[in-house]
Amino acid sequence: MAKKGILIAVEGMDGSGKSTQAKLLYHWLRAKGLPVYHTEWNSSTIVKEATKMGKSSRRLLPITFHLIHAADFADRWARQIEPVLEIDGIVICDRYKYTAMARDGSRDVPAEVIEATYAFAREPDLTLYFDVPVDVSFDRIAKGRPKLKYYEAGMDMRWTTDRFESYRIFQGKVSDIYSGLVEQGRMVALDARGTVAEVQSRVREAFQQHIDLSKVQTIDQSDRLAQNLSESDVDWLTYSGGGEGE
Amino acid sequence: MSGAGKLIVIEGPDHVGRTLHARLLSARLKAHGIATHTIGLARSELMGLLVKSRSADIHQLNWRTRSLLYATDLHDQIKHEAEPLLGAGFAVIADRYTLTPRIREEVRGGDAKWIESLYSDVPSPDALIILHAGPRRLLNRIMFGERLEALNHFEAGMDLALSPSITSSFLQYQKMMRQAFQAAGEKAGATLIPTRLTVEQVHDKIWESVRPVVSEMLQPIEEL
Repeated sequence: MAKKGILIAVEGMDGSGKSTQAKLLYHWLRAKGLPVYHTEWNSSTIVKEATKMGKSSRRLLPITFHLIHAADFADRWARQIEPVLEIDGIVICDRYKYTAMARDGSRDVPAEVIEATYAFAREPDLTLYFDVPVDVSFDRIAKGRPKLKYYEAGMDMRWTTDRFESYRIFQGKVSDIYSGLVEQGRMVALDARGTVAEVQSRVREAFQQHIDLSKVQTIDQSDRLAQNLSESDVDWLTYSGGGEGE
Repeated sequence: MSGAGKLIVIEGPDHVGRTLHARLLSARLKAHGIATHTIGLARSELMGLLVKSRSADIHQLNWRTRSLLYATDLHDQIKHEAEPLLGAGFAVIADRYTLTPRIREEVRGGDAKWIESLYSDVPSPDALIILHAGPRRLLNRIMFGERLEALNHFEAGMDLALSPSITSSFLQYQKMMRQAFQAAGEKAGATLIPTRLTVEQVHDKIWESVRPVVSEMLQPIEEL
């Protein structure tokens, strides 16, 4: 069966700037009149509730942490990703299954187990890895917040009792797994240092190099205009459309 | 895998008598000096309450998400309860285990192999018992034994659009489920027991298949 649609994923450490860049990529493609959809690592309320409960009770173990996040992803896959791909649209995923490989793998869940759970999520047409030195992303997160959450810092693994130190260890492991995925050719590394504009031009360059848009049908111009108007206001005083005024 | 203890699994549809027989089995084992603990679907401390209170929402989810939520629920019980207790020599009774969550999605077009892969690392049963009953018998138990409202949309397979009538949908759906349980049971070497028999007869049949598994742990009841 031929692959349908175009699937783009962005991956990287917390604080690597990938979310900002993914949104800019979305707006660029949208401005080109393409049928594009943007999704994030978060989904339905019911799954969110379950995750929240597990986190607050601190009862989650690596395997249940893995499964509950996979439930979240499966929901996002079924609601947001697959339907867009089915109609040959473009989906930009801010975090994809590689996030689970990096995070759950850092918690010692075997790679085969993670791959099997996420077997339904196909390899994207392009996965950009926002590469920043671990120290840089660590500083962006650590300086921006007074406190790190228990699971976010990897405290459940009992590497150390210091939250920031635990987070640093965790991020080191995450970074190693990401690097391995880049080496395997499953992600394209992109230098994420520099200004937002500098990084965005690298994003666009990588996108144009890897993605062929020639077969994607653009959205009809009148629909695009209607969409734009529905999101803005019209200045009736200077309105130059047809029809007679009062 | 299960160490000193034994894992006894009882599977089957709702209203077949699983919970009653799990309780009877547990009581008999205790009388013989065997410590027991019961686990089951939607009973984990992690998310049992949520799964129960939001079952209608969970039934609306796609089959993969639902499978993963049930897998999370069961793994929480396996890691926190079953594995440590099996290690300590308990008889752990599972009032539904991996079969029900797989079969009911398989009937809905879910990928059985993928669902099985979610349970690749769980203890395998030392005894697997499947209780079954004809769809009409199950329906009678709900409608004339409990109350009509207990007939639930999902357990009637209404999401499969088999029939606009909830009762005829239930009959068709439970027939599919029964066939799937039987096929899976035969493959897994399960003991299939029809619950059209009396409670005592069903219990005796369950005891017949459990007894050999726990024979070395059994202590006599009569002697003082």
